[in-house]
Amino acid sequence: MVLQELGDKLTGALRRLQTTTVVNDDVLNDLLQDVCRALVESDVNIKVVATLRKGIKEKVNLADAPAGLNRRKMVQRAVMEELVRLVDSGTKPYQMKKGKSNVIMFVGLQGSGKTTTIAKYANYYQRKGWKTCMVCADTFRAGAFDQLKQNATKLRVPFYGSYTEADPVRIAEEGVQQFRSEGYEVIIVDTSGRHKQEEALFEEMKEIQAAVRPDNVVYVMDATQGQAVFDQAQGFHQAAAVGSVIVTKLDGHAKGGGALSAVAATGAPIIFLGSGEHFDDLDVFNPGSFISRLLGLGDMRGFLEE
Amino acid sequence: FFSKLFARVTGNAVLSAAEVDPIMEEMRMLLIGKNVASEIAQDICESVRTSLVGQKLPSLTSVKTVVREALERAIVRVLTPRKSTDLLRQVMAAKAEGRPYSVVFVGINGVGKSTSLSKVCYYLKQHGLRVLIAACDTFRSGAVEQLKVHARCLEVDLYDKGYHKDPAAVAKAAIKEATDKGHDVVLVDTAGRMQNKEPLMRALAKLVSDNQPDLVVFVGEALVGNDGIDQLTVFNQALANYSPPGKTHQIDGIILTKFDTVDEKVGAALSMCYKTGQPILFVGTGQKYTHLKKLNVNLILNCLFG
Ligand SMILES: Nc1nc2c(ncn2[C@@H]2O[C@H](COP(=O)(O)OP(=O)(O)OP(=O)(O)O)[C@@H](O)[C@H]2O)c(=O)[nH]1
Ligand SMILES: Nc1nc2c(ncn2[C@@H]2O[C@H](COP(=O)(O)OP(=O)(O)OP(=O)(O)O)[C@@H](O)[C@H]2O)c(=O)[nH]1
Ligand SMILES: [Mg+2]
Ligand SMILES: [Mg+2]
Repeated sequence: MVLQELGDKLTGALRRLQTTTVVNDDVLNDLLQDVCRALVESDVNIKVVATLRKGIKEKVNLADAPAGLNRRKMVQRAVMEELVRLVDSGTKPYQMKKGKSNVIMFVGLQGSGKTTTIAKYANYYQRKGWKTCMVCADTFRAGAFDQLKQNATKLRVPFYGSYTEADPVRIAEEGVQQFRSEGYEVIIVDTSGRHKQEEALFEEMKEIQAAVRPDNVVYVMDATQGQAVFDQAQGFHQAAAVGSVIVTKLDGHAKGGGALSAVAATGAPIIFLGSGEHFDDLDVFNPGSFISRLLGLGDMRGFLEE
Repeated sequence: FFSKLFARVTGNAVLSAAEVDPIMEEMRMLLIGKNVASEIAQDICESVRTSLVGQKLPSLTSVKTVVREALERAIVRVLTPRKSTDLLRQVMAAKAEGRPYSVVFVGINGVGKSTSLSKVCYYLKQHGLRVLIAACDTFRSGAVEQLKVHARCLEVDLYDKGYHKDPAAVAKAAIKEATDKGHDVVLVDTAGRMQNKEPLMRALAKLVSDNQPDLVVFVGEALVGNDGIDQLTVFNQALANYSPPGKTHQIDGIILTKFDTVDEKVGAALSMCYKTGQPILFVGTGQKYTHLKKLNVNLILNCLFG
């Protein structure tokens, strides 16, 4: 992901910082330029990058700082802290509760990977021993129910859907109700792809949400996407209070910086990364451990903990 | 001072790098913010800069206006197709020769290949052509049923052999069927694949080289970020590298989908055209069959600079 690559660039930039004799505004500006360029090239939204830049500048006040090592530390710490803020929204992801029905509704743009990710997610929880099922509330996309049904059948996960009912709200409501009464623990609701520009689609999403009262709304986003990610994620969050983010298609060449924009736009944490088309291609994402891997360098980590 | 101003107004001044550079940088960031890939924004701005520095400043024009106009001209050049994009005429020509015209749709996962295929199908059918859809995505769950629904709605024929079949062989059989039954066009759907997955790219090259279609269409989405140019370049290279000598058929044109989801962030159109010089045949502007349009260069300019 973006941070892996960024990690290298950053390490380089910070190492250079170690070797420069004077840390002045020029050095800081060069460093900021390197970091910001790397972020923009990885598809982080330019507004998010501008905020990060401003945040670092505000933290680092070279004019008032004493010369030498402390200045260097101050710069390093500010850069790290602002980067950490990009991946770590500070909010805790929803925790599944055993012995209770947890309703998880998946939303996102068209083709982002919702239906596929639902299968992976179901597989993940089912293997861990949770009583898991899926509801297909996508009545719009051609073949949507077949897609979910074929995946569910391969995974031996119970599913609910209809070829004839055209109202997704009704299906969602009935399906979730049925599975709740049967004591399912993880009830996953698939919805159609939609986008903020089409109000009727967002209205429908809100109706489904009202009908199934989800415990968590998962926003599925595609790692290959660029500058528009922020606006869309914000739109979804405003309409449906996104609680978690899953980033898909990280098995390509894309660096997935858009995900950082989605975190910034929703304030929701990334919980999984999708890395392929198979049911096992899902990795748990933990911002904390990711950051420490990014820092890789024990010495840098020290600066944060001080 | 007065003489300098005078020189400026009467058009004797020569544009200096010091004048052009800050405006160029502003333009570069503007393009990136509109989702033009960083590399492409850099390239275009660099070439415009080179063409301007040392040139005479036309009278009564500000440096900013000169830069912007030069940039607009460069963008129009990139977006203006260098060859015919008239699909209908090409299909008619094949029909006159008494053979079916074949189109293969390729691209990464979820960008809108199958949907664009059905929009093109609708368009051709409107013009009285007999279309056969070939279901050569034999991998993704629900892919065949998705096309079945479209074929039924559009009242056209579908050729499918279900799942887990060699897509190259299915395409071959479909084209034979079309030849035997007198269809005018065969539209071949393929599975989405990431450009870095060599076995999948080899399989795609085989499908294309075995069947020698009339048109290979790369489908990308307007949402795509910096990865877009990599997708297009690597798909194009793979079609060359993995085909037997003399049987290479690379990308002929592009369909850019999901224009309705990006507001004014239309930069992907520029990135895609710039890289291979292949024309955008159509843009997708929604989820209905009629949401297939020709690229409007003026609209793109308005979105970028408006
Ligand atoms: N390579 C790769 N492909 C993925 C990944 N996740 C999903 N896909 C593919 O992306 C395509 C779209 O996935 P879907 O699950 O149908 O997307 P969706 O969001 O449900 O689409 P709509 O319902 O139309 O909005 C399919 O070809 C999936 O196989 C991933 O992590 N890596
Ligand atoms: N808003 C919008 N959605 C689109 C457009 N084109 C396609 N879509 C949607 O994008 C999603 C994916 O479309 P598909 O045609 O299944 O994509 P694909 O490339 O065939 O996907 P795979 O075969 O899984 O790789 C569907 O929900 C489509 O309705 C468009 O122009 N605008
Ligand atoms: Mg779906
Ligand atoms: Mg498809």
